[in-house]
Amino acid sequence: MFQLLPPLNDHNLPWMDTIHPIVVHFVIAMAVIAFAYDLVGVLARRPALFEVSFWNLLFATGAIFVAIIFGQVEAGLASPYGGARAILDIHTTIGWSLAGVLSVLTGWRYVLRSRDPQSLPLPFLGAGALTSGLILVQMALGDKLIWIYGLHTVPVVEAIRLGQV
Amino acid sequence: MALSYLSEPVPIEQIAAGLGANGLPYALPLHPNLVHFTIGLFVIAIAFDVAGALYPFERRLFRFLALPVTRAGLHDVGWYNLLVCAVISFFTVAAGFYEMLLAQPIAGVTSALGLDGITTMLWHGVGGVLLLLLIVLMTVWRGLQRFRWRRDMGRQVQWLYLLAGLALFPLLGLHGTLGAELAAEFGVHISADQLLAAGRDLREALP
Repeated sequence: MFQLLPPLNDHNLPWMDTIHPIVVHFVIAMAVIAFAYDLVGVLARRPALFEVSFWNLLFATGAIFVAIIFGQVEAGLASPYGGARAILDIHTTIGWSLAGVLSVLTGWRYVLRSRDPQSLPLPFLGAGALTSGLILVQMALGDKLIWIYGLHTVPVVEAIRLGQV
Repeated sequence: MALSYLSEPVPIEQIAAGLGANGLPYALPLHPNLVHFTIGLFVIAIAFDVAGALYPFERRLFRFLALPVTRAGLHDVGWYNLLVCAVISFFTVAAGFYEMLLAQPIAGVTSALGLDGITTMLWHGVGGVLLLLLIVLMTVWRGLQRFRWRRDMGRQVQWLYLLAGLALFPLLGLHGTLGAELAAEFGVHISADQLLAAGRDLREALP
């Protein structure tokens, strides 16, 4: 059965490059900027920005499920070593949690927007701040996996295949 | 390899003592994190302007989804996301150049695109400035359409603008691939790769 799977390249991937870090552009940028628009919208009394924020948040929520699918496949092929094992575990847990958090936040926002698109209650702003904070933590963890441990980079994959790690 | 025209040690040696295993004075590189915002905001800005332009075809779909939507709302996303993209991208490019000045691509590697480290880095640097210029020009163009040329029209953008935006996607993709290769193939600013290139054992150097 395993010979039906596509062969793995020197990144230990069935495709050219890691896809997860590309998909997360659309989760990180859209969710964090949505909070920024909400903040400016409230502080500068610009309710038009609430609409911009809503669409970005909705897009981030759709994108995180795609990010998780590719994240799981690429995590499964990552062969984490040393400290990277624990980091990947936490990154996976927070990633799935964020899918839930973003979904609830978007659902809440949909209801708020249906009732009154011109105002935003402060508790939602607080929830948005906490979610953005969680996303920054998640970014730092993902950064460690690539920029410190070099998972899926050619030199590390080579060392793992030679049994040197 | 010593360069014959340099009598002093190469500039990076002057601060080498203050740099970590990743070649940076801090733990995680800044540029790749700012790139999330440049690419995400640009792509979504264009996508929402396309959605705004094709609004007459989508109305029934949005009604089916019980998702109230206005054409102006979609175009607002196109405008504000691009504006923020243009501002953030100056920091993306600035951080990129700072980190490129400290970059040490692993020698003797040829990328999947057939380039060596320094060539990949030079193209990524020049391409970054060019893309920043194009993003700023697109933002000015978008602003003129929004506030001058098409301020009273439902479709806030010209078809040519949308085509130009879509044409930039593959350019961004190619540029991003060069950047990804600098990391995942040339090991730039990756602690594990730099340690391996220095002949260290990761089991001891990176437990």
